[in-house]
Amino acid sequence: MPMQLQINGRQYEVDVPSLKPLARVLREDLGLMGTKIGCYEGRCGSCNVLVDGLVVASCLFPLGLAEGAAIRTVEGLGGEGALAPLQEAILSHGGVQCGICTPGILMTLTALLERSPSPAEQEVREALVGNLCRCTGYHKIVGAVLAVAAGRPA
Amino acid sequence: MGVGPPDATQRPEMTAHAGPPDLYRASSVEDAVEELARLGPDGEALAGATWVMRAPIRHERFRRRYVSLGGIEELTRIDPGDPTVVGALATHTAIAALETGNGPLGSLIEAARTSAFLAIRDTATLAGNICTVFPEADLVPPLLASEAQVDVASPAGRESLELGEYLVSRGARPAGEVVVSVTVPAPAGRRSAYERLTVRGSGEFPLACVAVSVDLDDGMVREARVAVGSVEEIPRRSAAAEAALQGRLLDVRAAEQGGLAAAGELTAREGLDAPGWYRLAVLPALLARAAARLV
Repeated sequence: MPMQLQINGRQYEVDVPSLKPLARVLREDLGLMGTKIGCYEGRCGSCNVLVDGLVVASCLFPLGLAEGAAIRTVEGLGGEGALAPLQEAILSHGGVQCGICTPGILMTLTALLERSPSPAEQEVREALVGNLCRCTGYHKIVGAVLAVAAGRPA
Repeated sequence: MGVGPPDATQRPEMTAHAGPPDLYRASSVEDAVEELARLGPDGEALAGATWVMRAPIRHERFRRRYVSLGGIEELTRIDPGDPTVVGALATHTAIAALETGNGPLGSLIEAARTSAFLAIRDTATLAGNICTVFPEADLVPPLLASEAQVDVASPAGRESLELGEYLVSRGARPAGEVVVSVTVPAPAGRRSAYERLTVRGSGEFPLACVAVSVDLDDGMVREARVAVGSVEEIPRRSAAAEAALQGRLLDVRAAEQGGLAAAGELTAREGLDAPGWYRLAVLPALLARAAARLV
């Protein structure tokens, strides 16, 4: 039975099994390739998206639970042709290398900043516990978040 | 074709039935009970789905139908007070937001705050933690030490039972039963703390964890309740540890002796993450750390 999804403020319709993981639906059925799949066990954080404001490992989130919810993916962060301040900051601080973990990290940190607009460094590091990055060593990512919180994204 | 291991929609042999499993969104507790009773072994309740969706990794088969409890308002409610009633679908994040400090709910809140990581805490639920059989469930020891009751609904009606009794009967619960809430005694003056040990700082299952709940008279332990998780297959209270603390000044020395007593009483499971002897050897230190937060 077709299901209606609201993703980044747009309506989509899909007709796939209701236990299909949201990450796969985004990538395979809707062409939203920004969300990456890493471990497929909910451990690496690369597939994190927001569902009604909650951080969700979309590889473990069945499509059926997403129906009727407001889903946000990395594609929805910036404006038309513009990056969000958090994206700008991570770029300018050198917090991106291979990029596989970046969309999930952006979604986790977006949720963090919405809940806690001025997080302490420890809070940022705790929020990132579920996002594995093998390139950057996290320092530059943490620095970028603190810069955004201080109103100095670039 | 995507990356990663096959999910239910791609591997028919992972299901016991023709076609992929489907999902039914229950409109009320009664609706869920009725549907689960009708399905029997072909159905299972679904909360945050973080455990069910990993069935292929555990080489388990999916059920034919999952009954989603999401959206049933009664199940997400948290009513603070004495007792505090926590809805079955309260997430770890919602529980962690309850309060701070080492009051009667302190151990439960600390367990919710420190378990796993954000994406799991935002999704995983109280009921998922107690209905799923896994030794490392963080919320269970604090609930055991709080002498919490599990409130269930079934075709026979609603009832409450001791959490310890519920845990050991999980393999034989009646078809159609749904955990509705957990009722946690929270009398003023009671203090509690939770400690977990992981190899890295966080983001892992605990190798061992302890919850301590005490009633104190001028620093002396009038009553102690100690629960240990991740050591045996099912978390449980340690009567020996409680006896070691009872009637004494709550200090690090007494707590270490409580930990030694617990280690002598428990039979530790072996695992790739830690050998059994190690889980027992760390109990005195964990109890001492918990006690240090209470004095």
